[in-house]
Amino acid sequence: MRILKAQAPLAIVIVLSIMVGFLMVVVFRYTSNQRAIRIAKDRLKAHLLAVRLFQDQIQVVLISYWRIVRSTGTYLRLAFMPLLYVSIPLIFLIVQIDRYLGYAPVEVGQTFLMKARLADSGSLDQVSLQLPPGLSLSAPAVHVPAQNEIVWRLVSASRGRRNVEVAAAGQAVSKSLEISQGLKRVSPVRLRDRWWQRIFVSGEPPLSANSPVESIEVNYPERTIAFAWMEWNWIWLFFVLSLIFGFLFKTILGIEI
Amino acid sequence: MRLGGKLWRFRPALLAVLVLVTLAPTSSHAYAGPGAGFAVLSSFWTLFVAFLYSAYAFVTWPLRHFLRLLRRRQSSGKAQIKRAVILGFDGMDPELAQRFISEGKLPNLAKLQQQGSFHKLRTTYPPISPVAWSTFMTGVNPGKHNIYDFLARDEKNYLPFLSSAEIKGPKRSLKIGKYMIPLGKAQVKGMRRGTPFWYWLGKAGIFSSVIRVPVTFPPEKFEGVLLSGMCVPDLKGSQGTFSFCTTRGGDDKFREGGVRIPILRNGSTLRTYIPGPDDPLAEKQGRELRAEFEIRPDTVKQQAEIVLDTERFTLKVGNYSEWISVKFKAGLGFSARGIAKFYLKEISPEVEVYVTPVNIDPSRPDLPIAHPVTYSIYLAKLFGPYATLGLAEDTWALNERVLDDDAFLAQCYSNHHDREQMLFDALEKTKSGLCACVFDTTDRVQHMFWRYFEEGHPAARESNGSKRPEVIPDLYRRMDDLIGKVMKQIDSDSLLLVVSDHGFKSFARCININAWLHQNGYLALKPDKTESGDWFEDVDWSRTRAYTMGLNGVYLNIKGREREGVVRPGAEAESLKEELRRKLDGLTDPDSGKVGITNLFDCDATYAGPYVDNAPDLLVGYAAGYRASWDSVMGKITTAIFEDNLKAWSGDHCIDPREVPGVLFSNKKISDEKPAIVDVAPTILKLFGVALPGNLDGKAWTVA
Repeated sequence: MRILKAQAPLAIVIVLSIMVGFLMVVVFRYTSNQRAIRIAKDRLKAHLLAVRLFQDQIQVVLISYWRIVRSTGTYLRLAFMPLLYVSIPLIFLIVQIDRYLGYAPVEVGQTFLMKARLADSGSLDQVSLQLPPGLSLSAPAVHVPAQNEIVWRLVSASRGRRNVEVAAAGQAVSKSLEISQGLKRVSPVRLRDRWWQRIFVSGEPPLSANSPVESIEVNYPERTIAFAWMEWNWIWLFFVLSLIFGFLFKTILGIEI
Repeated sequence: MRLGGKLWRFRPALLAVLVLVTLAPTSSHAYAGPGAGFAVLSSFWTLFVAFLYSAYAFVTWPLRHFLRLLRRRQSSGKAQIKRAVILGFDGMDPELAQRFISEGKLPNLAKLQQQGSFHKLRTTYPPISPVAWSTFMTGVNPGKHNIYDFLARDEKNYLPFLSSAEIKGPKRSLKIGKYMIPLGKAQVKGMRRGTPFWYWLGKAGIFSSVIRVPVTFPPEKFEGVLLSGMCVPDLKGSQGTFSFCTTRGGDDKFREGGVRIPILRNGSTLRTYIPGPDDPLAEKQGRELRAEFEIRPDTVKQQAEIVLDTERFTLKVGNYSEWISVKFKAGLGFSARGIAKFYLKEISPEVEVYVTPVNIDPSRPDLPIAHPVTYSIYLAKLFGPYATLGLAEDTWALNERVLDDDAFLAQCYSNHHDREQMLFDALEKTKSGLCACVFDTTDRVQHMFWRYFEEGHPAARESNGSKRPEVIPDLYRRMDDLIGKVMKQIDSDSLLLVVSDHGFKSFARCININAWLHQNGYLALKPDKTESGDWFEDVDWSRTRAYTMGLNGVYLNIKGREREGVVRPGAEAESLKEELRRKLDGLTDPDSGKVGITNLFDCDATYAGPYVDNAPDLLVGYAAGYRASWDSVMGKITTAIFEDNLKAWSGDHCIDPREVPGVLFSNKKISDEKPAIVDVAPTILKLFGVALPGNLDGKAWTVA
């Protein structure tokens, strides 16, 4: 059971790679001009072969190289819009998956840092931290006035999702903490404003607009996945595997990419 | 409508999102899927490989250039030209060319005639394309290059085989259960001997681009690029076997060139197949592979959807498809792959689909059709798939009325268009050296449309459609246009030659020499037989002294040479030859009183070289208007000696060679009185300053 749990991230990445590999090539097929892409790729290969076939004729080599560059541009132009269609939903999917696979939760007994950034450096001395039961400070808070930041070192005695409260300038804001093992949805940062960044890195509601705290960040350990005798960040593994599966599906389905 | 089209209107929004994503990257969205991965990786990979290739070419170019100069100094004198461009027009006739020039229809050839040269070009004995083009490229007579006809005969069994190349299965195979697994590739052996002049050019460091010159299959190594021409087989290994899929009943077979395949109805869909090559895994030969396909007719729209493997396309009645990939699956992952075009002939009340012979796929050739092998791939990638079959224009299908005149012409000019593209690419790539390209359209169209060009041709009587006397003049005009385009790319340092291997004449009457030999006691049939089947079925060889096979050759049944030879070599054979010459020379057509045979040529006197023994004993020189009958060519003995030629194949050149010289146009003055096709090779070598090999039969012209 423990082995199964340990391999769950890998299994997710593999299944996801298969699904994405399949869906992406199919979507690409129906959003692209397949004939034009095939011709563009064929021309590219032809000019490449011309460099080899007529290598003694330096003028032909030069012209062919220019045509390779031009054909590459044509190919990328043809691939651009279909890639746009497939990329955007995929980016948001990856963001959501990254909540689970990008970071590991903090384990019991493991010390970790929590950092709050304030809008005004003058409020740094007034910041207080309220910890729920089972969570304690393992060192005094460190103030970094140059960055408007205050950093705490914490340790947890028990598992579970907790909320830590940071009070400053008479207002209190909270940040969730995930103390556990295995796959859990974690949010490494809670942000005020910065809507765009929030979409990609935060899994929590925004801090209120008039909050003196700009962000609260927890340095969860980055998760790695053991595969093929290497430790992989899940994105890289997904990149490699989805390319492989995408290649297989495009070959089987006869799709030009 | 593509989904892409619908989403296109959201482009600004999508673009904005992408820009935002790009401007604010984080690790989680740095990667945008396998599509992007492929696009980016393959683009960079291509550029990287191209860069490596180019860098290699740049870095090593000075050394290679130096070595090339060294080779030129060692093997050559002073070159008179920088580039030679040879345009070969198979069968272009000098008399017709002159006539159309006089009528003002060929301005570019007229210009060449005025500013350069125009001569009749003496051809080979016999004046048949594989023979003449072999002489063109080697500069030797057939006794030295071993090609005397399309077909040669096997003395052991009196059966024909292709004279230019032999294709056999792999040397070794492994038997596993019911399968015979081939270990290695098919063996292809060229039968043409002699060395093409572009080989000698290459030895002297001069690059050549050679496109579709006949009898260049299998391609030989030399310094340059070459795409093989006439004699390249189809995927079945034949010289072109079309498929005619039809719902019409009847089991009448095509004599040659095609097979009739029934279409089976299953509800609203129809199923049929294309016959392919023999199964390479079968223990015994003869089990053919098939590529099945489905036809979904739509009688309202007068079209049909055709589904073949993963290919799916719609064809309108009277239209050709593009080149379609055809895969023949043999099992255990083995397959043969080719390309074919489909033509929807009829949709209602019956369904009829013509499929061209399955050509070797130039982008994935199963047999070598180019040197280097990547050249055919290069052309396919640059221009798309193209016909690779040697005789790509399906004259048999028109003869058998499977194709009509318009469909045949469309096929010819489609192939011609592809060839033109290849020529202009070769011209661009070969700024110095040799660029030679042969066009077959001239030959095929004249063969098939002479019946309309000549008043009273018997084959025109059989034609149901409208007469098309303009086709041949239009053909010459098109070729003239092409020559004009090439002339624009020719500078004063370049030599332009427009050559043909032979001319053309009418083929209105057939002569069956085998029938004559039979009726005059030289060829015997088995008792109670008055006619034979194809390839001498029912011939009594023990009483046969002479026979003919192919287009011009007459063979004596020589003792010790033929399996059942009866004529003693030496005096008896010489006497028999003389007797046949005396009797056949001047043979008169009883219907018209015209002479049908103007001469018989003794091959011992005509040829010289190490392969003379493979030649026929006599060559028949037919008069203009006559040719060997279709039956005679195929070794069939009939009762009639003379008969009308009723086939669409109504013009020919396999007659007395003196009647059908080719053309020689040049942008430079050629002072020789009687140039011959055998002189082309030494002339080109001399103009490039390359020393002539010792065994050439031709002599170099004086070119000013």
